[in-house]
Amino acid sequence: MRFRSIFATMVMVLAALTAPPTRALAQQGGTPAPEQEPGLKHPLGPADLIMPHITDARTMEVPCFNRDWSCEVRLPSWPVHIGSTTIDLGPTKHVVFMMLAALLCFLFLYSAARAHVRATGEDGHPRGFAAGLESVILYLRDEIFLPALGHHGDGYLPFVLTLFFFVLFMNLMGLIPYGSTPTGNINVTGTLAICAFIATETAGMIALGPSGYLKTVVYWPSDMSLGVKLPLTLVMTPVEIIGKFTKPFALTIRLFANMIAGHVIVLAMIGLVFTFGSWLIAPAPIGMAIGIMLLEVLVAFIQAFIFALLSAVFIGQIRAAHH
Amino acid sequence: MRVTRSFLMAVPLTLAAAPLMAQEAPSSGGSLMSLQTNLMFWTLVIFLVLFFALSKLAFKPITAAVEAREKALEEALASAKRDREEAAQLLAQHRAQIDAARGEAQQVINDARATAEKMRNDLLEKARAEQQATIAHAQQEIQREKERAVADLRREAVEMAILGASKVIEENLDSDKNRKLVDAFLSSIKPSKVPA
Repeated sequence: MRFRSIFATMVMVLAALTAPPTRALAQQGGTPAPEQEPGLKHPLGPADLIMPHITDARTMEVPCFNRDWSCEVRLPSWPVHIGSTTIDLGPTKHVVFMMLAALLCFLFLYSAARAHVRATGEDGHPRGFAAGLESVILYLRDEIFLPALGHHGDGYLPFVLTLFFFVLFMNLMGLIPYGSTPTGNINVTGTLAICAFIATETAGMIALGPSGYLKTVVYWPSDMSLGVKLPLTLVMTPVEIIGKFTKPFALTIRLFANMIAGHVIVLAMIGLVFTFGSWLIAPAPIGMAIGIMLLEVLVAFIQAFIFALLSAVFIGQIRAAHH
Repeated sequence: MRVTRSFLMAVPLTLAAAPLMAQEAPSSGGSLMSLQTNLMFWTLVIFLVLFFALSKLAFKPITAAVEAREKALEEALASAKRDREEAAQLLAQHRAQIDAARGEAQQVINDARATAEKMRNDLLEKARAEQQATIAHAQQEIQREKERAVADLRREAVEMAILGASKVIEENLDSDKNRKLVDAFLSSIKPSKVPA
C-alpha cells in the first residue's frame, strides 16, 4: 500500500513537472474523453469522477454507440418487507458483476472439469487447459490448503477453493472495460469474511467438540488452580473473543482496501489527463495507468489467494487448537 | 460452580453476537463504508449457490478423477514392485536350479568317469589274467608236447637200438631175452641220461 502511494505521488510530481501549468489549468475538462473511461460526462472534480467508479450504484453503464460510448441502465428494485422494515433486494451494479463473475467462474471450472473427466476417461490423464487447471487445483490443494487445514481437512477444500476462484473472478471483473469490482465493496468482502468466520467456527465445533470449542471462547486452562485461573480467564476471554472477530475483520479490510486502492490509482492516473487537459501529457499517465493495471492483475490473483489461504489457515488453527 | 461457568460462557456469547446485531441496523449514504443489506444478501446467496455448484460439479469430479488416477498409479507402482520381487524370486530360484543342475551334471560326469575308469581297469585286469592264463596254458601244452616227444623219441631210440643190435647180433641172441636186458639197462640210466 505504501509502495503504491509513493508510486502515485512520484507519478503525479513527474507529470506536474512535464506539463505546461498555465495551459493545463485553463482547459479543465476541455478535451474529449478517451473511450476507455466511460462515465466521464461533466467536468467535475477528480473525487467526483473516481467515487462513482468504485462505489456501488443502482445504475449500470453499458457499451453504447453515442458520444460518451456508454448508456446508463437503471437496475430494477425489489422491495421486501420484513416486519416493519423494508429492504430493497433489487440488484445493484456490484450484484450484477458478482453474478457475472460467479457465472464465468462456474462455466470456467465446470467446462474444465467436464473436459478433465472426459480426457481422463479416454487417455487416463487430462489434456491442455484441463491439465493446467488440474495442476493449479492440485498445487493449491497439496501445497497450500491441505497443510494449512491440517489432517483430514479435505472436507474444507471445496470451500476455500470456491473462495479463491470466486474472489479471483470478482477481482478481475474490475479490470475489464465498463467493469466494476464487487470485492472493492466492503459489504461483499465482509459477507465473504462472515462465511469464512462461520466456516471456521463450525470447523472448530466439529473438530473440538462442544467443550473443546468453548475453550476457544472462554480461556479455561485445566492445569492451573482456581485462584490463578479465574483472573486469567476474566482477562483472556475478551482477548480470545476479540481474536475471533479480528480475523474476519482483517480479511474484510485487506481485500476491500487492496481492490479499492488499485482502482483509485488507475482512475487518478487517468484523471491526471483531464486535470491537465492536455494531449501532450496524456501518454505519461496512461502509460502509468497501464502499468498499474498490469500490477492489478497480479494483485487480483494475490489477494484472492491470500483470502482463501487465510481462511484455510484460520480453519486449520481452530481445528488444531488445544488449550 | 456450573452456574458460574454457564454464566461466564453466556457473557462472551452475547458479546460475540453484539456486532452482528449492530450490523443489521441500516445506514444510508453512498460512501465507501456504507452498509448495503441487499448486496450482503446477494453476496451470500451467490456465494452459497456457487459453492454448492462448484463443489458438486467442478471440484468433486476433478478430485475424484485425480484420486482415481493417483490410486491407479499407486496400484501400478505396487504391482510393478510385486512383479519385480516375483521376478527376483524366480531368478534366484532359477539360478539355484541351474546351480543344482550343474552340480548334478558334474556328479554324473564324475560318476561316469569313475565307472569308465573302473571298467577299463577291470578289462585290463581281465585281459592280463586271460593273457597269463593263455601263456600258462601254452607253456603246459609245450611241456606236455615235449614230454610226449621225449617219450616218443625214447621209444623210437629203443626201437632203433634194438633194431640195430638185432641186426648186429641176429643169430646168437634170443630176441626177448636181449630186449629185457636192454630195457633194464635203459631204465637204469634214464634219470641221468635223458634231458628234461
